[in-house]
Amino acid sequence: MRTIDYLLGPDASLFWPGVAAGVAIALQGAILSVFVVLKRMAFIGQGVSHAAFGGIGIAALLGVSAGMAMPVVAAFCILTALGVAWGAGKRSSRADELIGLFLVGSMALGAIAATLHLRAQTGPRSLPSWDAILFGSILSVGPVDAALAWASAAAAAAALFLARRGLIFWSYDEPAAEAFGARTRAAQTLLLILLAVAVVTAMKLAGVVLATALLVAPGASALRLSDRLAGVFAWSVALAVLGVGAGLAASFELDLPPGACVVGALIAIYAACCAIGRIAGRGVRRA
Amino acid sequence: MTAALEFKEVSYTYPGAPPGAMALERVSLRVEPGERLGVLGPNGGGKSTLLKIAMGLIDGYSGQATVFGMPPRRARRDGLIGYLPQRIEAELAFPISVRQTVASAAALRTAPWRRPAPDVRARVERAIDLVGVAPLADRPIGKLSGGQLQRVMIARAIATAPRILALDEPTVGVDAVGQRRFADLLGTLHRELGLTIVIVSHDIRGIAAACDRVACLARTLHFHDSPGGLTPRILAEAFSHQVEGVFGEVHIDAHAASECAHDHHHGNAHGAGGARADD
Repeated sequence: MRTIDYLLGPDASLFWPGVAAGVAIALQGAILSVFVVLKRMAFIGQGVSHAAFGGIGIAALLGVSAGMAMPVVAAFCILTALGVAWGAGKRSSRADELIGLFLVGSMALGAIAATLHLRAQTGPRSLPSWDAILFGSILSVGPVDAALAWASAAAAAAALFLARRGLIFWSYDEPAAEAFGARTRAAQTLLLILLAVAVVTAMKLAGVVLATALLVAPGASALRLSDRLAGVFAWSVALAVLGVGAGLAASFELDLPPGACVVGALIAIYAACCAIGRIAGRGVRRA
Repeated sequence: MTAALEFKEVSYTYPGAPPGAMALERVSLRVEPGERLGVLGPNGGGKSTLLKIAMGLIDGYSGQATVFGMPPRRARRDGLIGYLPQRIEAELAFPISVRQTVASAAALRTAPWRRPAPDVRARVERAIDLVGVAPLADRPIGKLSGGQLQRVMIARAIATAPRILALDEPTVGVDAVGQRRFADLLGTLHRELGLTIVIVSHDIRGIAAACDRVACLARTLHFHDSPGGLTPRILAEAFSHQVEGVFGEVHIDAHAASECAHDHHHGNAHGAGGARADD
């Protein structure tokens, strides 16, 4: 069992930060994914994660060190999320087209900026490799990253708790929430910022392309098992932790990229939940 | 006495509308506390616009609109108006129960680190009871019928302890029996809670059954008095002439409408006090 060898062997310190970060990312993704799925914002998560390409390109052009690249990427993702919130106005429906444009625009910006950086040959050359950006690497996650992931998860949980009433009202009935005086714009902006932060946090472990799976799959799976809000959140958290744990174990055993394995596990869990929900007649019927 | 709702010479044109295509033109009306006003008019006649101005959801109008003497936006912020939208756009796949739905508006003003106060929770339970959905309180909203869902949304509105209940086309697509039940429900809420009720609708039967004052609105106000005073001529004028050429001609069965208004007039004992026609 390579998993046990890795986690209990002499090189355990190389792997534990990745596992610890994985659990934090799972928790963060689990609570956000319920809102993402119910507000049909999966595409937004995808768009914000792809904004990371633009951020990496900008970091390259600015010639920042490898350690400072992630804050630049995070800032770029958050600005993208705010841009979507501002452009979409009061209705999140318009966000779809904006996200589509931001997504391809960010990738184009990243490609151009990275090319210009290589041509100019200035600044440090130790920016993350494209492979690591796309698919993540457990070995790239250090203790500081793990601590940041837990801090990010705690901040997201606290923000969602404090904003829960307006956020839930906005999520299930946006026009009425506005009519009753809920701060719908603030709810939308908060959720987008938290999504951006979650994507950046998950990027090192799961990669840009796969980070968004954690923002969709747990919530979508949980909705197949319960039609109670508390039950959906509880299932989402449990399934996300299970998916990350199983994915990392598969990654250790098969020597495959952790991001891909985690996504594979999450999709298998989703398929199982769909089958259970159908057989047991449980969960929320999706329109 | 301060009016529950007062419009003075209110006019409004939607941004981007062609010149002259006003949604409301110099509308003046006054609704006294405890009154039940029905705003009757054709589709596109400005009813929902009037309601949105009263709710503080539209700015940029001329004239003056007040809710219990306050600007509408402030009245909305202070929770003076409970609202039932024309179309219930709630995401029915959301895993939220009837009780949680009813509490969602009432608990908005509770500090996030506190549980809703006992009086708020009591209001939620009373609202659920008043609209007759107590047996469904723990059921997810996605498993309700259309009529049950509408009652839940009314409970959500009254659980905020509003002083005005505003309803936008509440009886669209409801049969005569359903309309009667709905009128009975509004009668109960009016009696038990002392609410001022404002209904906008193009449905004369629904309005006549539930209101003691009617305002006919087709961009301008044509009539503002008891339903018994409605005549086919007023209805024809309100429903056709003013909207023709702007929103397209609108037809109603004026005979049926006047019959309905006549029935209501003889079936209710409301006097002539309260609202006055300013127009």
